[in-house]
Amino acid sequence: MVQQRRFTLTLALALLLGALGSPASAADPLVVSTWGGNWKDTVERVIAKPFTQKTGIPVEFEVGGTIDRLSKARVAKAQPLVDITFTTTHVGRLYISDGLFQKLDLAKIPNAREIFREAIRSDFHLGVWAYVYTIAYRTDQVKAEITKWADLWDPKFARKIGLPDFDPSHIITVSALLGGGNEKDWQKGQERLRRLKPNIAAFFSTDAQSQDLMKTGEAPIQVMLSVNAFHLVEQGLPVKLVSPKDVGGIVGIDTVGIMAGTKKVEAAYQFLNLALSREVQEQLVQGFKAGPVHAKARVPEKLRGQPGVFTTPQEWKEKAYILDDETRAKNLPAWKEWFNASIVAK
Amino acid sequence: MARDAAELSSPPPARLTEGGGAPVPALCLAPALVVMAAFALGLAALLQYSLLEFIPGSLRTGGLTSRNFQQVVAPQYLRAIWETILLSVATTLLTLVASYPVAYALARTRSTALRSCLLILTLAPFFTGAIVRTYAWILVLGNSGFINSFLLRAGLLENPYQMLFTSKGVLVGLVHFSMPVMILILAAGISHIDPTYERAAASLGANPVLTFLRVTLPLSLPGVVSGSLVVFAWTFSAFPTPELLGGGRVKMIANVVKDLALDSFNWPGSAAFAVVALGVTFVLVAAVARSVERLRPGGHP
Repeated sequence: MVQQRRFTLTLALALLLGALGSPASAADPLVVSTWGGNWKDTVERVIAKPFTQKTGIPVEFEVGGTIDRLSKARVAKAQPLVDITFTTTHVGRLYISDGLFQKLDLAKIPNAREIFREAIRSDFHLGVWAYVYTIAYRTDQVKAEITKWADLWDPKFARKIGLPDFDPSHIITVSALLGGGNEKDWQKGQERLRRLKPNIAAFFSTDAQSQDLMKTGEAPIQVMLSVNAFHLVEQGLPVKLVSPKDVGGIVGIDTVGIMAGTKKVEAAYQFLNLALSREVQEQLVQGFKAGPVHAKARVPEKLRGQPGVFTTPQEWKEKAYILDDETRAKNLPAWKEWFNASIVAK
Repeated sequence: MARDAAELSSPPPARLTEGGGAPVPALCLAPALVVMAAFALGLAALLQYSLLEFIPGSLRTGGLTSRNFQQVVAPQYLRAIWETILLSVATTLLTLVASYPVAYALARTRSTALRSCLLILTLAPFFTGAIVRTYAWILVLGNSGFINSFLLRAGLLENPYQMLFTSKGVLVGLVHFSMPVMILILAAGISHIDPTYERAAASLGANPVLTFLRVTLPLSLPGVVSGSLVVFAWTFSAFPTPELLGGGRVKMIANVVKDLALDSFNWPGSAAFAVVALGVTFVLVAAVARSVERLRPGGHP
């Protein structure tokens, strides 16, 4: 009886010591929120695995669409379910305005000193890779060459163009720039954009739809994410990306921020620093066919000079047009409303 | 006689409301009340959100306002509501016409093999999911899709006929999507009609068409009403079919709700539009139910 009680006590003590003695920080995973599919796979392979090897901290992922994840973050405010979030630069503004990101201490991210100034989007979120919304077209279905944005208005492209309607920022800005304005006085492009209507075949609301429209040939010319166009090229589709001569591609920068209220701040800083390191940046470029934000990252020869791949401050200046994040976040509802009423409507 | 005696001796069925408040009915009602309360809370939250001010560029909301409801009458939103009503009515009618013969065959065939075959064909689309079915229609209706390719090769067309990204294309997708449900509901209704009525009509000299019009169709109206209401209501809230087959050009109510919430971040505006859409749905479903009800044998004139 005594022996049995002693055994029970010993077992309980061992379990208690085991629980207390386990290094909580090492076993406690860092949770990263990102997009699914290739985005998550690449982030996991290129950043998370080396991070775990280096720190012993496992990484878990929460995947979903940009807005789905934003909605979840709002619901979990102050007790975040994730520690780090990848999102687009202007949606990052919404995280900031709602107090979901914490202000970054750049002293804890030494690699941030090496990144292009365009990648420092705010005190709360930093760019990790870049791409452009530019013109892409099927060379087997579109015989005429397209070299500039203004070509989209050519009547010979009637009912051939696909545009994103979930975010018309890019084409609205291009139209405004062609009309001598910009995203702040976007009304200058309204009339010009109305004239584009006969050439529009369809609108798409997801990247997948965009790629399907290109594959089926329903919209063989598109204002398309460069990363998606490169993906189609890799799949063997005869798609050509254009570096428009009149106005640069409209830059998109995906960013990363640390969630306000996370209990794993130090690990989150280590993750960010690793993501911005030259080695990781070089692998991200290869994985996504996107532009690096680290100024010294080496870019494969075949990607050099391609749309969305900027490797020098001069290229950023000459080939990229970056929308003002705040203007974009504030104007988007009005842009959407006008676009739906004036361009999408029959 | 024996049956009458048994019926008299058996206890009366339990009633939900008995004098003095019997505990059993109250317990039976409790789960239903909990579920309904959850629904009501959700609707209350939607209504509350629809009355808050939207602040562009921010996720925060301002004070109380009626502005979100004023914006619903903007032309593009009214157009979406109108398009939704038209497509829902057209889908309901076409689905009914296309489904009736299949449902009739399903209910009346004596061949087990044929019934199984029809049932499998009816249910098969359920197992493929809405998105896959809709994508399949893109391949059929597209400019380089099955139909256009055939017509172009046969020399019947010079240029592709635009079906995709039009209301017609969306209608085709919606009818296909709705048919399985309509067939099952109609078949259940038709199978309840005693075939002796049809045989009686035939023996009195009615031809098959007359028998159908004067006997089968009127007696199957309960199924027609139920099927039409279900198809109308769920077409009214259709999302993936207009999203994919409409190519952004055909906006139904659910698409506008999503646009406002997820693309413009205007969640109060989206909530207001959803509240209005819900009201319109209630009114229309009640109107459809009332008008079809009048067609029932013995229904109000």
